[in-house]
Amino acid sequence: MDTPDRLDVVDRHALVMAVWIALGAAAAILLHFGLGSGGIWALAAGFACILAAFAGHIVVNTVYRTTFTRSELALGLVVTFASLLWLSLAALFVSGFRDHAFVPLAVGLLTVGACVLFYMITHFGVRVVFDAFNVIGSFRPETAPDQRRSGKGRP
Amino acid sequence: MTALVLTALGVTFVYAVYIATASASAVRQPADFLDGGLSIPAWGYIFGGAGIVVATLGLEDHLLLIANYGLQYSHAALGLVLAALAGTLIHKQLWLTARMTGLRTAGQLLGTYYASAAIRIYVLLVVGLFALPFAASQLAETGALLEQATGGALPAVLTIWGSAFFLGLYAIVGGWRAMVYVVAAQSLTVLVLLIVTTGAAGVTLQGFASASHGISVPAGITSDRLPGVIQFTAGLGKTVPLGGLWTTTQILSFAIALTGITLSPGFALLGVSVKGRTVFAFNQVWMVAGLATGLLVFLGPLIGTELATGSRPALDAITSFANRLAGRDELLGVGFLFALVLSQQIAVAFFVTSGASILTTDFVVRYLQPGLAASGQRTAARITIALLFVAVASLATFAPLPASLLSTLTLSLSAQLLPAYLGLCWLPWISRSGVVTGLVFGLIFVLFSEPPGLIAFEGLFLGLPWGRWPLTIHSAAWGLFFNLGSCLIVSLWTRREPEREQRDRLHGELRAISPAAPGGRATQAAKWSLTLIWAFFALGPGAILGNTLFSQQTFGAVGPSAGLPSLFVWQVAAWFSGILLVWWLAYPGRLGVIEAVPTRRLQLGPIPAGQGSLAPRRPDWITQGLSRLTGRPGKLQ
Repeated sequence: MDTPDRLDVVDRHALVMAVWIALGAAAAILLHFGLGSGGIWALAAGFACILAAFAGHIVVNTVYRTTFTRSELALGLVVTFASLLWLSLAALFVSGFRDHAFVPLAVGLLTVGACVLFYMITHFGVRVVFDAFNVIGSFRPETAPDQRRSGKGRP
Repeated sequence: MTALVLTALGVTFVYAVYIATASASAVRQPADFLDGGLSIPAWGYIFGGAGIVVATLGLEDHLLLIANYGLQYSHAALGLVLAALAGTLIHKQLWLTARMTGLRTAGQLLGTYYASAAIRIYVLLVVGLFALPFAASQLAETGALLEQATGGALPAVLTIWGSAFFLGLYAIVGGWRAMVYVVAAQSLTVLVLLIVTTGAAGVTLQGFASASHGISVPAGITSDRLPGVIQFTAGLGKTVPLGGLWTTTQILSFAIALTGITLSPGFALLGVSVKGRTVFAFNQVWMVAGLATGLLVFLGPLIGTELATGSRPALDAITSFANRLAGRDELLGVGFLFALVLSQQIAVAFFVTSGASILTTDFVVRYLQPGLAASGQRTAARITIALLFVAVASLATFAPLPASLLSTLTLSLSAQLLPAYLGLCWLPWISRSGVVTGLVFGLIFVLFSEPPGLIAFEGLFLGLPWGRWPLTIHSAAWGLFFNLGSCLIVSLWTRREPEREQRDRLHGELRAISPAAPGGRATQAAKWSLTLIWAFFALGPGAILGNTLFSQQTFGAVGPSAGLPSLFVWQVAAWFSGILLVWWLAYPGRLGVIEAVPTRRLQLGPIPAGQGSLAPRRPDWITQGLSRLTGRPGKLQ
């Protein structure tokens, strides 16, 4: 990779971090506030910040003509599953959580998930998105290289 | 709160060092350390520029002044539109000139264009003021703020030296490019945090009380009215203006001082080092005139209401407000404090790093080590950054008051560069003698209407009959009035000096690359007339109409219904029309849009025989004289 490309990568990376740091900090403050005395509007504003950061990330991808990197996807998945795990455990074990915070948080997470899915479908198409999550499809047996070239061995 | 503040600061510094390391590993040319290889991404300028403007205005001071003076001071935020206009006028032409000549700093460009060592030294003086006393006063404010907010758990000395160490570390590792990355991210964070914390404060605390009962300013200050067009007072320290300091002339002259932000050598270097064709227009219209000014116009009074206590609100008002926010939610309080601290860190990092780059180029390489190799320049810049940060931290720790006093000169002296920039960018008839004479007059008048000059003169010689900002006119306007006047007069007498040929060559190239904006003479006249009319009504004497226009109707018997102070409505209208004006000049007027990248190289200043891509031209009078003698039409090159 030559110098201009490396600089472009760093430019993009720094911009993505700038967007997520600014809006992520705001989201953290608002979600924390919402879970305390802020109520449902603060929670909604917090999720709006997350969606705004996601939209900003997409704009960055468009400007730099890139898509999400592997590490960004991995980080996104880890954060999503950690949030879901935390939400489930809190609903099970924290007293009073289900009464005042579970529904807004669950709706917020679902909204974020729906937006991500919507973006993926409109950007990559249904088939690619389905293949990305099609775990069973990856269980098929490996075929020999010569069979792959000739098209043999396909299910 | 201490643990959260420390965590936030720690995360910021880790992020900054990480970005600096990533940036340094991607850059291969040592010379890029000083200017980012003139390929700083557009977003760095767009976000970073807005944050730098707000940080240089001084967010903490701005909020405290609103708490002290109410809407009459909040009006000064509109001065950022004037700063954006100054940027619109200068930065594109400066960028084109830098690309044509291969020069990059304001000192190089102005000094070479006017062939004047005095102008170079003046630019270095302004750079030094930004990089030392101004940065030191900001760092001292950070130390004092965090010490009070944490109840002494974070001593000011520790904060000052810790901040200086980490800011210096990432600047030394990553150089100019890394600094722009980090400052841009911090700027975006400041803007977002201001919106979030102010919104949450409005919801949880007094519910935007300023809309209903105004800001509780100290007795004798008119909170929601400008205290006149002008007051014939001897100045601060001698007499107290009736009803408050911020008359319309004070606001207009303060706005002129704010142009010193966009005219500063550091900001000029940022503009020169950026890549992108519409980056200037976007930053000036939407970020500075739009977002930054709008946030200050709308959010300033809301926070000022919460800070106002009736006596003289000071630093404890800020920490008290943060503690009240923290009482509702700890992260809210930390978020508000963090926005203020980040804005101060932006100012420190930007002005010290830009100062180091400029000092290396204009002082070390030009005077101390001519012909220094690129790697040597990088080392020199790193040493300069380190020395500047040590000096800034020392000033902030041991001499915060002198630093604060000296920093009062910074913006006003920076604004004095306007005639020099106008000559370089637009008016070839402005001569070296005119600029130098103007700078001398500007320097004297600024010095004698700000505390450093007044204190020194009165201490050494005799008492003066005037104080700071006499006649409620800011020192920047006093300086610029005499600066421009003397510059014009001297330039008229010396407009045909021999260097004029060289200046005309540059302006010919500029006109060829970036022809005059579309539209006839009427359109051009309308643009500048509207600019003056806007300045008159938004900032100047016409703004006095805003005191009552929307609350006491001249015709009819219908009373006010909006519930907002008339002056606030006037400010919003002036802000909105200001955006339209900057947009008109920057986009349709093409003042902020780069239409073509220069491909020809041009050597500024006297050209040695046989050098330079443009052949040295024969003076016109010789050409014309020869043509008369020979009877053939002279060929003007």
